[in-house]
Amino acid sequence: MHPDPTPEPPPVPTVVVRNLSKSFPGVKALSEIDFDVNAGEVHCLIGENGAGKSTLVKILAGVYAPDAGEIDLNGTAAAFGSPLEAQDAGIACIFQEMNVVDGLSAAENIVLGDEPSRFGLFDKKRACSAARALLDEIGFLELDETRLCKSLSPAEKQAVMIAKALRQNAQIIIMDEPTSPLEEVEVRKLFDVVSRLKSSGKGIVYVSHKMREIDELGDRITVFKDGAKVATLSRGQASSEDLVRLMVGRQLDEMFPPKDRAPGEKILSVTGLTGPAISHVSFELRRGEILGVAGLVGSGRTELLRSIFGADPVWQGDVVVDGRRLQQNSISAAITAGIALVPEERRSQGIVPILSVLENASLVWDQFPQHRSNSKTQSDAVRDTTRLLNVKTPSLGQRIDKLSGGNQQKVVLSKWLLARTNVMLLDEPTRGIDVGAKREIYQIIDALAKEGLAVMLVSSEMPELLGLADRIVVMNSGAIVGELPGTATEEEIIALSMLHAASDADGRADQQ
Amino acid sequence: MEKTVKSERQTPVRFFAKLRAGHGIQTMATLIVLLLMCSLFAALSDRFLTISNFQNVMRNAAPLIIASCGMTAVMIARGLDLSVGSVLAAASVLAAFLAVAGVPLYGAFAVGILFGAAVGLVNGVIIATLSVSPIIVTLGMLNIARGIAYLITPSAILVGLPRDWSGLGTSKLVGLPLPIIIAALVALAFHVFLAFSKMGKRIYAIGGNEEAARLSGINVTRTLMVLYVLCGATAALAGIVLASRVGAGDPNVGIGFELQVIAAVIIGGTSLSGGEGRIVGTIIGALIISVLGNGLNLAGVEPFWQWVAQGIVLIAAIIVDRQVQDGVNRARR
Repeated sequence: MHPDPTPEPPPVPTVVVRNLSKSFPGVKALSEIDFDVNAGEVHCLIGENGAGKSTLVKILAGVYAPDAGEIDLNGTAAAFGSPLEAQDAGIACIFQEMNVVDGLSAAENIVLGDEPSRFGLFDKKRACSAARALLDEIGFLELDETRLCKSLSPAEKQAVMIAKALRQNAQIIIMDEPTSPLEEVEVRKLFDVVSRLKSSGKGIVYVSHKMREIDELGDRITVFKDGAKVATLSRGQASSEDLVRLMVGRQLDEMFPPKDRAPGEKILSVTGLTGPAISHVSFELRRGEILGVAGLVGSGRTELLRSIFGADPVWQGDVVVDGRRLQQNSISAAITAGIALVPEERRSQGIVPILSVLENASLVWDQFPQHRSNSKTQSDAVRDTTRLLNVKTPSLGQRIDKLSGGNQQKVVLSKWLLARTNVMLLDEPTRGIDVGAKREIYQIIDALAKEGLAVMLVSSEMPELLGLADRIVVMNSGAIVGELPGTATEEEIIALSMLHAASDADGRADQQ
Repeated sequence: MEKTVKSERQTPVRFFAKLRAGHGIQTMATLIVLLLMCSLFAALSDRFLTISNFQNVMRNAAPLIIASCGMTAVMIARGLDLSVGSVLAAASVLAAFLAVAGVPLYGAFAVGILFGAAVGLVNGVIIATLSVSPIIVTLGMLNIARGIAYLITPSAILVGLPRDWSGLGTSKLVGLPLPIIIAALVALAFHVFLAFSKMGKRIYAIGGNEEAARLSGINVTRTLMVLYVLCGATAALAGIVLASRVGAGDPNVGIGFELQVIAAVIIGGTSLSGGEGRIVGTIIGALIISVLGNGLNLAGVEPFWQWVAQGIVLIAAIIVDRQVQDGVNRARR
């Protein structure tokens, strides 16, 4: 089935999955999937959310048991009753959540579960040397194995998890969207780790939304759609555009709406805003304008949005909305003035998972004194807005965490549209959202700007900033270091955001 | 895309959606447990299924129901108040002390309830503004309030109460014991508060995700303070109803009461992890606890075993809560 252009005999697959099916109440999550991973290859798995990638990954990792089908591991049939059994069989999973124990050191995390001992006591020396060797092996030479995990960056935590997987002698390593918590520089480092693992003969299943990563890493690419496999392609057989079309049936260049907006009068002006993580930030924003905010993680982008919104402390400086100066450090004052914040972490900050779509959408609406809870006006307003944003839900009474990430985000947007928002602060609005829903969110953002809203967009994804923003400000160490037009290039933005990165790193080293 | 938002207008669909969400089923299950317990005790003792015993159970359950209402609100917001037993004692002793000193009866009652509210305010201010764990704060307050109860009346039980002191606890209105009517009114008020008021909605949002609630403009600090004040006040009211029925101000009353209250709330389906819970469930939970005590009494089981039984019931309820949560999490994907 899979064409192999190289002359040598095709490598023996390490894991072969045949006819795998899995259903959940009301949903067929996987139907008759064939999938295999060879030793020494990176097999990318792509598809929209709900396409079945996660289900397959979880079956391989022993989290779910399949309803039908078989898994062969190195030629013998395997069935994993638990994640532990999958681990023992040599399958390791690096999930998006960092499953490390913050209070233990990197070395202790790496040996956790199989600690070296001496006279029945924990042998720290051997633990450290084992951890050191593994971290060196994956190229993290400078990561001190005695540091506590809570002081590590996401990339370093990931390295700890990979080292742990290697210590457990994993042959297959599954990475579920490993780059989403990482910065651009760290992504390069991860790619380096992946190629090291590959050349040492590990089979890697790489789940991602990002075409660039797939282009760069994938030896083979399998596309999932609606619980079924669409195709498995070898490297170079298909362009990014082809892959997106296979996933969603749309062209990539339709991703972003044309920038034909006309900014109106000034609505927001920020002068000298200073707080714990931002210093002397000033800028202006017009109605109908989308202002992109670029910068590395930790550059103060998120804190800037939160400070404008009153959620993070402000020491000095002013936020003026529509000519009126905003009371400092007050979320309710910001909301009353028409400022809205769509936070970075949807699940932990944006939604109340156990409440319904209706309840989530009316969280802000409910705060207005003239609005009546449980009224028909309320459910009508929520119904109209969610319909406008094309939220796909069986009913408004549905628990929000049963919806896909994209639909959850649309409910969060609805919540603010119901609150008569003037200024929309968006922090990574499409993180963890599949391509199709991303495109919808972009259309919504564009439509809102056309309606006269002012939008601030923080994003780590360059195409997103360039595709949407009219202007882009670049942040570094809590300050705005430059402004670029919406027609700027990725290189210009990166150059600006890295400008002071070296001195910043020095500063951090001094603090420790 | 056309199926986006349908079926919202048909109320039956919404009703079944709620059933599926588990509220109805859980309430049903606790009700069945209560009925099974009743039939078991009816089989064990022929004195159980009598009208006078029924009234007895309800009268005993009244303070528990009253205090559990405040606790339900706190626990929906993912809080906890361990001081309710001591607040119950301190408030009742304070009211009795004032009544003995000649303060008009209802003035004494009011001061007792205000005392409970004040203790709740202290709890709430510390927990909400300093973000300290409610378990530790209210554990400390458990000791403080008990100490205050003993300080008010060092000579153990207060005597010499005015004659009408017992009116609240023993008289009847339209054929029903007054404590039952008070409990019913408190429960109704809390039901309306939690299910229909704006602040009620906020409480569920805070319990479900405090940060998301805060970022939606909800004043989390103030809401939490209000809840602890209500919890303290209901504990104090429960103490006054109890002291009136017993006819004394006893600083030893209500030891271990917090366990009964928390057990009643959890059995009633309020999740320890916050965000869900209903007063109807709490009432059934409180009745289960009361029937358990009453039934074991009638069956001739030693009082000390009742402590053991209550502890077992609490732990069992928490295990069930955990299982339900896990089930929900598993079904999510």
